[in-house]
Amino acid sequence: MCESVRRFRVFLVGDEPQEKEMASALVEFSNGLADAVERAGKSVVAVLEGGRAGVSGTVWRDGIVVTAEHTIRSEVEVTLVLPSGETVKAKVVGGDPSTDVAVLTVGAKAATVAFADAAQVKTGHVVLAIGRRGEEGVSASFGMVSATGGAWRTWQGGKIDRYLRLDLNPYPGFSGGPLIDASGAVLGINTSGPRRSVTTIPNATVDRVVDAVLKRGRVTRGFLGVGVQPVAFPEASKAALGLERNRGLLVITISEGGPAEKAGLMIGDIIVAVDGNAVAHASDLQMALDPEKVGNAISVKVLRGGKLQDVKLTVGERAGRE
Amino acid sequence: MAAAVNPIRAAGISVEEELGAVADRLRLSTVRVLGGDGCGSGVIWRPDGLIVTNAHVARSGLQRVELADGRKFTGKVFARDPRRDLAAIQIEGRNIPSLMIRDAKTLRAGEMVIAVGNPMGEVGAASIGIVHSAPRNRSLIFADVRLLPGNSGGPLADVEGRVVGINTLVAAGLGCAIPSNEVARFLRGLGIVAR
Repeated sequence: MCESVRRFRVFLVGDEPQEKEMASALVEFSNGLADAVERAGKSVVAVLEGGRAGVSGTVWRDGIVVTAEHTIRSEVEVTLVLPSGETVKAKVVGGDPSTDVAVLTVGAKAATVAFADAAQVKTGHVVLAIGRRGEEGVSASFGMVSATGGAWRTWQGGKIDRYLRLDLNPYPGFSGGPLIDASGAVLGINTSGPRRSVTTIPNATVDRVVDAVLKRGRVTRGFLGVGVQPVAFPEASKAALGLERNRGLLVITISEGGPAEKAGLMIGDIIVAVDGNAVAHASDLQMALDPEKVGNAISVKVLRGGKLQDVKLTVGERAGRE
Repeated sequence: MAAAVNPIRAAGISVEEELGAVADRLRLSTVRVLGGDGCGSGVIWRPDGLIVTNAHVARSGLQRVELADGRKFTGKVFARDPRRDLAAIQIEGRNIPSLMIRDAKTLRAGEMVIAVGNPMGEVGAASIGIVHSAPRNRSLIFADVRLLPGNSGGPLADVEGRVVGINTLVAAGLGCAIPSNEVARFLRGLGIVAR
């Protein structure tokens, strides 16, 4: 890495600059960033068919490359340019549109990334987004963590374990590349967010998708077989029924032969809670749809004919890719 | 995170002070090149008064040049290469502060860079960023640094204040600079050899 004392130039107005030995924190910081980019860049590949003009990929585990799912059009294979400059074919094993992670396998050897603990990241930390474009080599953008938060869900219902808001410019081809800290350790995979922002899928989420895809070729999603619409009822009935909130989800469709029908749910039922958690919006049902819930029984509290009752329902698995 | 990261607090002198010193030094050698349609920037390349700027900044044969210390000159544009977008201006004076030059081929992706210029008429404004991708062959330097009209012709420098390129354009939000070795090639073509 960089030595602690470097030649730091002290300039005077005149023809020739004078030099003297000084510890330069600035030079050290700058070298540290370049070292971090170099280290992480050894695990960043270019995905030639991704996006409009190629995107990036990250060597997550031995022989496993992850990239941004939305950029991959082929369901069979893609071409990668490895850090060594070698061009190889990689097999598309599967992906998860809800978290925007695709998993590829590649025969050729490349260094895997070093992981950082995303839970330790604080607002103000320096971060870099790393990419690789064809034969142009590694590219980097400089930024800062501008806010952090807990788990959140994408609009497709994918659970993202941690929220990282970044002050960082997304340049073409950065999707699928890693977000690294100033030591070069990986915090997650970058993809494009709304309004030219960057969304980072943290390590824990990527790991979960990689495990699921390698095991089953896909990420399973739960299925209840109901269509719902949020409704509000009067404060009086809320008090009379002893409910937490005056909102619920009115069942408006029931899928033929689906888990809800099997459990005896009917059109006109109002779902007020799932496993003891009050529900007010359709998105509140997402917690019952996570992959690990498939095959499990959940308890659904419904309001039917003015009375509350509990219904046991076994979560099914959603068919198809979406 | 491996070793609770920010290296900013690692060394004795504060990074802010150092950055300020480097930016001040770069400012001394960044000139305003005034033309018909606004003002661009230029870099004092040699202490004998040789100034390098963009061809799209120095459009006419004689160009008004203002130094950071307030001195005003009429510079002679003695070479223009619109293909490379480079121009060389000569001014006559004493104690003209030039900058050290660093070969852009030694740049590393991720390394910090500082751009100084006169964006939107703001004199001697500095912006900081990093090298986005290291220049290959004879391509431009791509930098994750904020450039605006008026930065054209000004220096892109490393954290030690050495010029690595001439800020020229913005593409896909990236600052693009002509690498110092390309400038050296342009000057060699004029019979001017590096010190």
